[in-house]
Amino acid sequence: MSFTAARVIASRVRAFFKTASLDDDFHKELEEHLELLTADNMKAGMSPEEARRAALLRLGGIELNKERHREARSFPRLDALLQDLRCEVRVLRRNPAFTAAGVLTMALGIGANTAIFSVVNAVLLRPLPYPDSQRLVTMKANQSLLDMQDIAGWTHSYEAAGGVTYQRLDFSGGTEPVQIDAALINAGLFRALGVMPAIGRPIAPEEDRFGGPRVVILSDGFWRQYFDASAGILGRAITLGGNSYTVIGVMPSGFAIPQTRADVLASLRVVYPEGAGYRGVHFLRTWWRLKQSVTLAQAQAELEPLDRRLASLYPAENLDRHTVLVPAREWLAGKSRPALLMLLAAVSMLLLVACANYAGLLLARAIERQQEIGMRVALGASRSRIVAQMLTESLLLSLLGGLAGLALAAAGVRWLMRLKPDSLDQISGVRTDVRVLLFALAVALICGIIFGLVPAWGAMKSFAGHSTAVTASRLTATRAGQRLRNVLVVAQLALALVLLTGAGLLIKGLWRLHSVDPGFRPENLLTMFIQLPPSRYSGIPAQTRFRRDLLANMNAVPGIQAAMISELPLSGEWLFHSFVLEGRAPVPKGSEPEVQARSIMGDYFRTMRIPLRAGRDFTDGDREGAPLAAVVNETFSRTYFPNRSPIGARFRWAREEGPPHWFTIVGVVGDVRHFALEQADEPAVYMSYAQSLQEWKRWMYIVVRSRGNIAALAPLMKRAVWKADALVPVTHLRPMPDIMRASTSQRRFNMLLLGIFAAVALALAAVGIYGVISYAVTQRTQEFGIRMALGAGRTHMMRIVLGHGTALLSCGLAVGLLASLGLTRLMSGLLFGVTSQDPATLATVTTVLALVALLASYLPARRAMNADPTRALRYQ
Amino acid sequence: MSGDKSEILQGTLDLMVLKTLDAMGPLHGYGIARRIEQVSDDALQVNQGTIYLCLVRLVEKGWAKAQWGASENNRKAKFYAITKSGRKQLAREAENWGRVAGAIGRLLRLASGR
Repeated sequence: MSFTAARVIASRVRAFFKTASLDDDFHKELEEHLELLTADNMKAGMSPEEARRAALLRLGGIELNKERHREARSFPRLDALLQDLRCEVRVLRRNPAFTAAGVLTMALGIGANTAIFSVVNAVLLRPLPYPDSQRLVTMKANQSLLDMQDIAGWTHSYEAAGGVTYQRLDFSGGTEPVQIDAALINAGLFRALGVMPAIGRPIAPEEDRFGGPRVVILSDGFWRQYFDASAGILGRAITLGGNSYTVIGVMPSGFAIPQTRADVLASLRVVYPEGAGYRGVHFLRTWWRLKQSVTLAQAQAELEPLDRRLASLYPAENLDRHTVLVPAREWLAGKSRPALLMLLAAVSMLLLVACANYAGLLLARAIERQQEIGMRVALGASRSRIVAQMLTESLLLSLLGGLAGLALAAAGVRWLMRLKPDSLDQISGVRTDVRVLLFALAVALICGIIFGLVPAWGAMKSFAGHSTAVTASRLTATRAGQRLRNVLVVAQLALALVLLTGAGLLIKGLWRLHSVDPGFRPENLLTMFIQLPPSRYSGIPAQTRFRRDLLANMNAVPGIQAAMISELPLSGEWLFHSFVLEGRAPVPKGSEPEVQARSIMGDYFRTMRIPLRAGRDFTDGDREGAPLAAVVNETFSRTYFPNRSPIGARFRWAREEGPPHWFTIVGVVGDVRHFALEQADEPAVYMSYAQSLQEWKRWMYIVVRSRGNIAALAPLMKRAVWKADALVPVTHLRPMPDIMRASTSQRRFNMLLLGIFAAVALALAAVGIYGVISYAVTQRTQEFGIRMALGAGRTHMMRIVLGHGTALLSCGLAVGLLASLGLTRLMSGLLFGVTSQDPATLATVTTVLALVALLASYLPARRAMNADPTRALRYQ
Repeated sequence: MSGDKSEILQGTLDLMVLKTLDAMGPLHGYGIARRIEQVSDDALQVNQGTIYLCLVRLVEKGWAKAQWGASENNRKAKFYAITKSGRKQLAREAENWGRVAGAIGRLLRLASGR
């Protein structure tokens, strides 16, 4: 039986593709049948005409037979669909303006949505590139290696735990000394992430110990760049940070440790034993692989008593622990999540605006075609068939739009990736995958169906009852359609207002942000980063000698002012210590206050133009052997010395072994925006590198102020560094204004996209209102002719038409303002310096929308006004 | 292929066409229609067009096959012939028909006996 069924389907598919030739065959067959029947009828004594007519009656009409034959041998519905499609393609080809408008509208809506969805897909939806990545979790706070080790030992929820921090190491295998990014890890990281080297082997647990063998694993990129992907790399020795390491493996291509750039991977205990052995340095991002059966909640519950245990065992390092587990995916999406969701919401609104235009377009066309449709209804076309045809038209247009939208999205994604903010940096895999394709297809289909049904429904409603009264129904159809279009336009205006408000708020926020005083003057500042290799600069005296030489070399260049700081504002780096103020009530160990600790050298404050508020700046006298001096910022002064001067007060670091080193506060300087332009500084102290007690602080940012062009300065400054030490790599050469721009990149990204969406929505809404008003004007041409003939003035005409526009506008604005107030509150987390109900912004965007909408309705109004009454009267 | 009435009719027509082809050998559409009318003494007046729909079904199920040939007035015509699986189907259907007809007959007699 199923064999027969398969045979039937095969036969029908065959027939479907051979429709024309089979039609022809059947026509011949029928002709022959008629001939024979006519001949028999004539034998029975009929006249030839009579015989033929009787034969036709018996047979039941040639065309009808052919139609039924076609249905019987093939797929009847598909056949009708194809017929509709063929018809529609013809219609669309004949109306290029309508087609272009429909396709373009949908392409804009679907394209923008698909582009944003591609990013959302990559950031929020697609699994991370690690096996079973849903089992990968991380801890909100960083951990020290010892804490991580303890937690791993005390828990049963995890298959593996891996910690990673990174350090820049000198690599001298290339043409000039460079710094590469080394991921310092423990041996468990490979199992935690579930990725092993493609060549060679991972770091073995017995190698991952203090004083263990210096072995290293290369990233695929590093291996290709410096070793030409040589297969003989295993066992080779390379020099990193002045030490020789043996290469034992190469990671697969495409592998990346989350949020970490890594050219090489090496054991933390081997490379950086000072950090690895100290419980107080919480510098590891830890990745934990949950066991198959363990849920996040179970693992979290297991952690709570451990926090207390760690706190009671090591109060100095672990007081107030509250470890929170976060799924890796969520952690990585982190900061960009709210922004992406906001953009997704905005782009959906844009789609709705586009769809409203689209529906309006189809509706106008349905009204235009009502005579044809009325005729077909009169001739007996079934209602479902007509709705099906209108749906076909809509689907065809929206699918074409979707296709164009995909192309648009592909271009859009490329563009997005070029200006993506740093927070999206991890996301490289934004591409058009199956999910994105399905998304675009689904959007196109849903929009095509829903917004194709709206006009179909409108058109059918107008034929209810009197299918033959073609002209009589014209008015009804117009009125029903017009009402629907009015509603659509109001919705469009409201949505456009919401988008404009959102964009307006972001623009205002960004503008506020750019006018924030960072506390220093970024113009004409060049910055660079240097890290001294431990092999040659293990002691402070050597470091200080290098620093002085370098600054002397740079300042010798005319017109140059150079200084250095350990943590540059807006660089994303900071270092804090707990401290104890002299003479204050003692605090329990572990809960001492924390302060940002920054080391400087040279005339840093003057170079940065950070104002001195009280006391004095560092002088040459604040040097080795002299009493330790410190300059604090205003926030420090305000926080710890309200209403009095901090000058002369003394503090020391809380975690210090041996006799205390007291710093004396000698001055107060202005605050800088260190962490971000939108974030106030924390209490900070500045110390002199020359008096440094921390030989591990081997890094420095150089800031160079010049009166001239800072871009030309770079090679000159590099030479100045290499005059002090020819083997030190100079990295991160960046003008300060660039760093500031980068720090607002996420906001600019948000603003730019939302701005574009709002502009497109505004344009679409303008087109929408223009379409409705000009259609109404066309419909009322005759009426206007009569009115004018009866003496109505032009301004009166104008008022009527503009009145219609204004009514739509008022409704749209009212709905839009309410929606704005509700919806923009959801984005208050993305705003800076403005509330979501900022009256100025609301007033501005409302005015903009009102002006654009009025202009869009003025144009058709002017047409009505200038109409010639005699021609208008004759207008059909 | 929907609606109870046409289903019975369709099945019946299929059976009649198959039987005709079985008895008469290859025939064109008109020949089949004529033959059915003659045999039934014109009691069964089929819309002759429906013969072709029936033939489409039989061909696509493989119970009949079509071939171009020359008609009695020596013009091109399509001739239909029953196939082997068509004969099997005919036997099955004929038996089925007999059983159903017998059952209905008995049922009707029984009903009128009361």
